Amino acid sequence: MLHRFLQALFVTTLALLPAYAQGLPAKVAEIEKKRIDVINKVKPSVVAVMARDLRGNLTGNGSGVLIDEEGYALTNWHVTNAARSPLLKCGLPDGLIYDAVLVGLDRVGDVALIKLLPRKPGDKFPYAKMGDSDKVKAGDWSLAMGNPFSLATDLTPTVTFGLVSGVHRYQYPAGTLLEYTDCIQVDTSINPGNSGGPLFNLDGELIGINGRISLERRGRVNVGVGYAISINQIKNFMGHLRVGLDTDHASLGASMESESEDGGLSRIVVKSLIESDARRRGLDVGDELVSFAGRPMTTVNQYKNVLGLYPKGWRVPLVYRREGERKEILVRLMGVQRGVINENGRPSPPPMPPSKGPRPPVPAGPPSPAAKFYKEKEGFVNYYFNEEAQKRVLADLARLGDFSKLTGDWKLDMNVRLLDRGTPVATRASFTISETSGTEGKLPKITAEINELPYTLEPLKTDEKEEAFKDPVNSGGWLLATYLYRQLLVYGPKGFPGKDTFWHGGVEPYYPPSDPQKGETSRERVLAEVLLTRFADKDSRWYFAQEDDPAGRWKKGQLIGFEVYAEKDRDPCEVCLSHYKDFGGRQLPSRWFIRHADNNYADCVLTAVSCK
Amino acid sequence: MILHFIGELTPPHSPSWKRLLQALAAVVLLQLLPLPGWSDESLARVVEEVNPKLVKLFGAGGFKGLPSYGTGVIISPDGYILTINSHILDTRDLRVHLYDGTRHQARVVAREPELDIALLKIDDRKRKIELEHYFDVVQAAKRPIAEPGTHILSFSNLFQIATRDEPMSVGRGVIAAYSRLTGRLGVFEASYRGNVYVLDAITNNPGAGGGIITTRKGELLALIGKELTNELTNTRINYAIPFSASVTVPDKDGKKVTVSVLDLVNQKENYRPAPERAKVTNVAFHGIILVPNVVEKTPAYIEEVVPGSPADRAKLRPDDQIVYVDGLPIQDITSFNNLLATYTPGTEIKLEIQRGDKLITVPLTLEKPAKAGKK
Repeated sequence: MLHRFLQALFVTTLALLPAYAQGLPAKVAEIEKKRIDVINKVKPSVVAVMARDLRGNLTGNGSGVLIDEEGYALTNWHVTNAARSPLLKCGLPDGLIYDAVLVGLDRVGDVALIKLLPRKPGDKFPYAKMGDSDKVKAGDWSLAMGNPFSLATDLTPTVTFGLVSGVHRYQYPAGTLLEYTDCIQVDTSINPGNSGGPLFNLDGELIGINGRISLERRGRVNVGVGYAISINQIKNFMGHLRVGLDTDHASLGASMESESEDGGLSRIVVKSLIESDARRRGLDVGDELVSFAGRPMTTVNQYKNVLGLYPKGWRVPLVYRREGERKEILVRLMGVQRGVINENGRPSPPPMPPSKGPRPPVPAGPPSPAAKFYKEKEGFVNYYFNEEAQKRVLADLARLGDFSKLTGDWKLDMNVRLLDRGTPVATRASFTISETSGTEGKLPKITAEINELPYTLEPLKTDEKEEAFKDPVNSGGWLLATYLYRQLLVYGPKGFPGKDTFWHGGVEPYYPPSDPQKGETSRERVLAEVLLTRFADKDSRWYFAQEDDPAGRWKKGQLIGFEVYAEKDRDPCEVCLSHYKDFGGRQLPSRWFIRHADNNYADCVLTAVSCK
Repeated sequence: MILHFIGELTPPHSPSWKRLLQALAAVVLLQLLPLPGWSDESLARVVEEVNPKLVKLFGAGGFKGLPSYGTGVIISPDGYILTINSHILDTRDLRVHLYDGTRHQARVVAREPELDIALLKIDDRKRKIELEHYFDVVQAAKRPIAEPGTHILSFSNLFQIATRDEPMSVGRGVIAAYSRLTGRLGVFEASYRGNVYVLDAITNNPGAGGGIITTRKGELLALIGKELTNELTNTRINYAIPFSASVTVPDKDGKKVTVSVLDLVNQKENYRPAPERAKVTNVAFHGIILVPNVVEKTPAYIEEVVPGSPADRAKLRPDDQIVYVDGLPIQDITSFNNLLATYTPGTEIKLEIQRGDKLITVPLTLEKPAKAGKK
């Protein structure tokens, strides 16, 4: 028996000999080949970012990664910040230098979006496919690529290989507001110059942007602990970055503390709260935070992780417990205090190699061709991209019909179910909007009859009552909203006169009216492009669908909702629009759903429209 | 220098046919099974299995750059924990965070400076402790010494990255050698002088002490040590103490006493540490006596030179001001003392001296102190 077993072993061993003769077991050789193939596949997308000052002197080197064929690439804010100009030079592994321009920034999250210009118009760039960083686990292998110590003099990136040491890590801001939230910790070697470069999984998917390393008494070199900003976090900011915004991170307006006794699990409890949407939604000091944006909360770090994932202004669900009762609310996140990070605020540590030693050759030449893709405007990183995005959204809006000549009286008739009372009331509503030319220009007036009650609002009248802007009661300002809707359709940006009154606000989640059958727990979320406007001190947000709705409620590019703030820092009147129909040759939403604060106000069907 | 680390490897002692069989079996297994550790899935699973057997420790420290956090490994269901014998244990408020986020008080059961380890116990006076996840250290101690070239995983809470239920940091590396530890902590010789695994990865970071290294299958190998400097190369050394470690030391009367990790683990509360020895400092002697360090930034002026000392032979004089040592600027007496503390006897250093209005370069060879402690 033993003899036969040994014989079998021997035969198997002989069969293996060829593999061993080449030095590696077949399985190892196969895995190695797969890894090399992945490296070769993703390598063309790795960017060497050269930061220069205004005189063209090299002030630092970093890395980046192309994320689409148009030439958009991600890197770190602290890499682009080393350049004192929005115009950059980048190298690709094809050995060529490309002009590039800064597009958008997330300074708190240390992310920058840049755009490389093709050397020939119409040329496409190689790019890396984005993965799902929430699927990354401690113990997974990872590849970091980039330009550490400016070694890539021929623009071929350095590859390092290592383990994911931890996920969902929180790294405190180091001296500034720059914090790394929900980041991926790796023992993959990341060094000065790797900043902004890609972290790949072994399928060659982009899972993070390398940006920071832990240091201790050993100088600015790797000690086995590096951090990458998770790609899922960046995806949330991408809509903002692409439209040239200087995006802000979020705060809840509340501080949390970990409360526990020895032996117990920690509870995260609201310690203090300022005037904020969270407070208006009912959150109070002493409430226990159960989950935030869908993640269970057991440490303050986890709470900070979630906050770091979203831009200011986003609405996310929050579950809290008070006296044993569990409540779910939707909160709009506030901005982080600004001004702490300024141009001189250096993130610490900034893994940037000194610009010594051999440098990639960059010929001095005429002004950068990237200059025509840059437009300076206060409050924006690059207004050129914001304007382009505005044009695109407005073009979509214009496809629904040309309203620009219809400056006369508008009349809208609706069948309405009022939802703000015990049992819904079926009734009618009629709005009339007119403009009369006065001595000080146009004087708009909106009159309405809702459930047989008359309302009037003259939004530009100097002594108009505050209440009129919020009429009808419980709607948050339906009259004002309807007026501003006409204003956008008829006049576009010109309907919002003044400085900084009309811009593209990137991408935000939008929550369509929830199905009353399913209740709040079935909260549906779609991502929508948002336009931000201000009219006579009244702010509005306009949501445009990025995709066709599978349920058929709207199509890509249609306005699917808007919010009008009758009062600053109070709850807006939210109007949800759907089911576009033809009204006299123009497309208008037939379904209007009005919400305010925590309540639904009215569910309406547009029956007749007259626009002159 | 590297040669110093190689040696004392444990060869297998089995008869040759048995070894042949083992080798053949290994080859077959390589072919038949997916290689553990080469597919992501299995490593991520190992990480998940090991993590609950480790604890985050929080104790004394937090000043002078000393971390107040560390790592420990659970070795029994009733809450005994092994860790490195460090300053963080010098407190009455020692806290343990388990993998599930629960927080517990812990006490020090016994310490063994000769092995540089300590045994802790989670406080069970208020409630019974029953842990599901722990390592069998006795079994780990019986495992043959892992050969150089063995791939390892390291688990620790380095840099206090994790708190509560956040998992340990995991890293990968290779055992470079199994050799006697010749480390020092500042000017002091490291207390443990026995055999350790020397690792090729930077495992010994702040807070990592008391963490573990395992095989790629998650089998317990050794306890991650402190942040020590290698006496031979003056560089950081990354090492871990195997659970089979034991040392033999003389007591007061010169009688030899042997202590081991297993003794500590088995005897627990009844464990009696090895008799204390005089701490051997390895401070280098130069013979320079500086002026009194009275103000905050007292310049490093020489007050006196010890006759017959290296400083005397280098012809240093009172009133010389030391401005550079090996090219590093000396701002004050403190920076001079701190820098010199990192040198070992026998090293030649280069001093730059301001004497009057001249800068003079003076080589000086450091010596062992005349009254060096007995080994």
